[in-house]
Amino acid sequence: MKQAKYGLILLLFLMVPPVIELSESIMSIHMHMQMPLLGIAGMLMVPYFKEKFPRFFEKWNANGIPGILLFMIIIIYWLFPRTMDEALTVPYVEVFKFISWPFLAGVPLRDSWGKLSERAKGIFLIVIGIIYTGMGFLYLFAEDQLCNNYLVIEQRALGWGFLFIALSILLYYAQDKLIDHSKYE
Amino acid sequence: MESAVNQSFVQKTSERTMKFLGTNPKDAKLSLTFFAVSFVALLIGGFLGLLQGLERAGVITMPAWFDYYQTLTTHGILLILIFTGAFLIGYLYAGVSHTLGGLLPKVRKMGWISFTLIVIGTVVVASQILIGEASVLYTFYPPMAASPWFYIGLVFVVLGIWVAAFGVFINVANWRKRNKGQHVPLFSYFATGIFILLFVGTLGVTYEVLTLIPWAFGWTDTVNVMLSRTLFWSFGHTLVNVWYLTAVSAWYVAVPRIIGGRQFSDTLARAVVFLLVVLNVPGGFHHQIVDPGFSEGLKFMHVFMSLSIGFPSLMTAFAMFAMFERAGRKKGGKGLLGWFKKLPWKDVRFLAPFIAMATFIPAGAGGIAQTNFQLNQVVHNTLFITGHFHLTVGVSVALTFFGIAYWLVPHLSKRVMTPLVNKLAIWQVVLWTVGMAFMSGAMHTVGLFGAPRRTSFTTYNESAQALGWDPYLILVAVGGTLLLVSVVMVVCIVFHLMFKAPKGETEFPVAEVEDDAAPTPKWTERWSVWIVLMIAVISMGYVIPLVDLVMNAPPGSPPFKTW
Repeated sequence: MKQAKYGLILLLFLMVPPVIELSESIMSIHMHMQMPLLGIAGMLMVPYFKEKFPRFFEKWNANGIPGILLFMIIIIYWLFPRTMDEALTVPYVEVFKFISWPFLAGVPLRDSWGKLSERAKGIFLIVIGIIYTGMGFLYLFAEDQLCNNYLVIEQRALGWGFLFIALSILLYYAQDKLIDHSKYE
Repeated sequence: MESAVNQSFVQKTSERTMKFLGTNPKDAKLSLTFFAVSFVALLIGGFLGLLQGLERAGVITMPAWFDYYQTLTTHGILLILIFTGAFLIGYLYAGVSHTLGGLLPKVRKMGWISFTLIVIGTVVVASQILIGEASVLYTFYPPMAASPWFYIGLVFVVLGIWVAAFGVFINVANWRKRNKGQHVPLFSYFATGIFILLFVGTLGVTYEVLTLIPWAFGWTDTVNVMLSRTLFWSFGHTLVNVWYLTAVSAWYVAVPRIIGGRQFSDTLARAVVFLLVVLNVPGGFHHQIVDPGFSEGLKFMHVFMSLSIGFPSLMTAFAMFAMFERAGRKKGGKGLLGWFKKLPWKDVRFLAPFIAMATFIPAGAGGIAQTNFQLNQVVHNTLFITGHFHLTVGVSVALTFFGIAYWLVPHLSKRVMTPLVNKLAIWQVVLWTVGMAFMSGAMHTVGLFGAPRRTSFTTYNESAQALGWDPYLILVAVGGTLLLVSVVMVVCIVFHLMFKAPKGETEFPVAEVEDDAAPTPKWTERWSVWIVLMIAVISMGYVIPLVDLVMNAPPGSPPFKTW
């Protein structure tokens, strides 16, 4: 329950107008901090939801695959430059961002993670790593301004950010596969 | 026959005990050598600090062949790089040797290589400052340009640090392979975290220095000044936390044992280490909070990233006082604060780190104030900042280092500290505290009145405001004088403990966990995960400003020699 409270506080904090103003004023912070933090807020609420609606999660996300697919659909949607633009200019899309990230990405991700097999987790990390690498190159090398609301220089910074996050995810996967933890633990 | 067998058994047992529980004598020699360099650097650096304080107060004028800025640069480099760097390597190597059953032969060799590189680097750097070719202060901001050999000397120092870091990584990995399922002892866990932080923190500044060398030689025309400053502070603030984490290691590992208590929580201590490793590097950006060229939004985001570093420090403050209370109550302390009186106030091994911890309360609060944009604007280029880091480094870190030296040096040299020397050491600590209270207190106050840092004495054409600073600057000089007396005392005591104190055994204090302590979770050992998280957090903090500084780079600056 404590976690759920922290999650709710984080979500409310991210919804405060000056915080929205700051976090959406820089492209990288918008995509690589505000959105993941919204997801984390949702993840923190999972124990509460599972306690309140246990049968829902058992019925609809028994093996974790539907949840992880929902997560992928949501984050891929938010990777489009146009959706970021719309979040800034169309209020409904902004509202959808504050609902979709915590409840349709964060919640299913945490619920699914414990249910997925090691192989499925590996595939998930590789896919995310590849997508983020691709996005990194897209934002780095696109000659045009992809978002109406952000300058090309911010696009480049976002590209580098994508590459570093992809590197972190792939390094995490590699250390998990290459280091034989049984040797040490 | 029987007695010979017994003797042989006792000898073997003693050797085995030494091997697994004591610091190996060969490793002790390495650590003592580092300490010798460290305390010689403290003596010279401290003496130069006093000269600098006297000139800043208008009491003396330094000669033209070794002016104020040469003094300031040498003072900074010797104290913040060599005194602290050599001390922490000597201390961590001794602790790793003690807790992991001795250094591997190749790691010991790496320790000596590290020592050689650091000494060569120091000599090269110091020689350039002495001949007047490198009065660039310890931050060596371009476009002020030193002789290229100054930067080459710094490269040697960094290489020395890297060799020492990889030595510890190899030793810890080897131990983990040989001791499956066991947690790395807490001391070595700290050493691993400290060296990871130090290695990653030095990557940015190494790149900076490698761009400054061809620029100083004249092979390249210009250098990106803002980029250099940013890369410097990705290292500068990390270095501060490396010292802090080194001091904290003694607070968690040794202090509980010294006061007859137990560790508050092994898991909490390890969480403090990896949180500092993960969160620390982007914190460096708050040193540039009044720099031009960065948007306010970016600076505001960095305020959050910097303040997050305060979280593990608050965990430490809680753990320390909880541990003190438990130990005091076990000794019969009653009532709300009765436990406080039961602490061993007459033992310098406790008194020094305690004052260090207590000082971190105002020092940390000052740091949090400076992290904020508006407050930083008020004090940024003033003596307030100098006062702040004389509290953090000069008290919280230095006093803990002295406290460590008072048990580690006799432990390594197989000697003991006599009650008389303990009393002398207590006076040294008291003198240091009073001296620093005068000096740092005056610096904080006069800084609020606008007295600038990094400038020699001037009255600005007898301006009334500048003349109003003078009484405080005199207090700075008074504090500096007391500090030099204290420096001489600590150096004498340390060398006495190294070579002259009575022979005997001194304990390497390592605290145990409480009998009913919860087991430490295995995930605390997953360094690969913490390193990945660290990379992600650093990229969050630095990608935006670095891309901007590189892609929107100004024309660049040629080198300037302003002295």
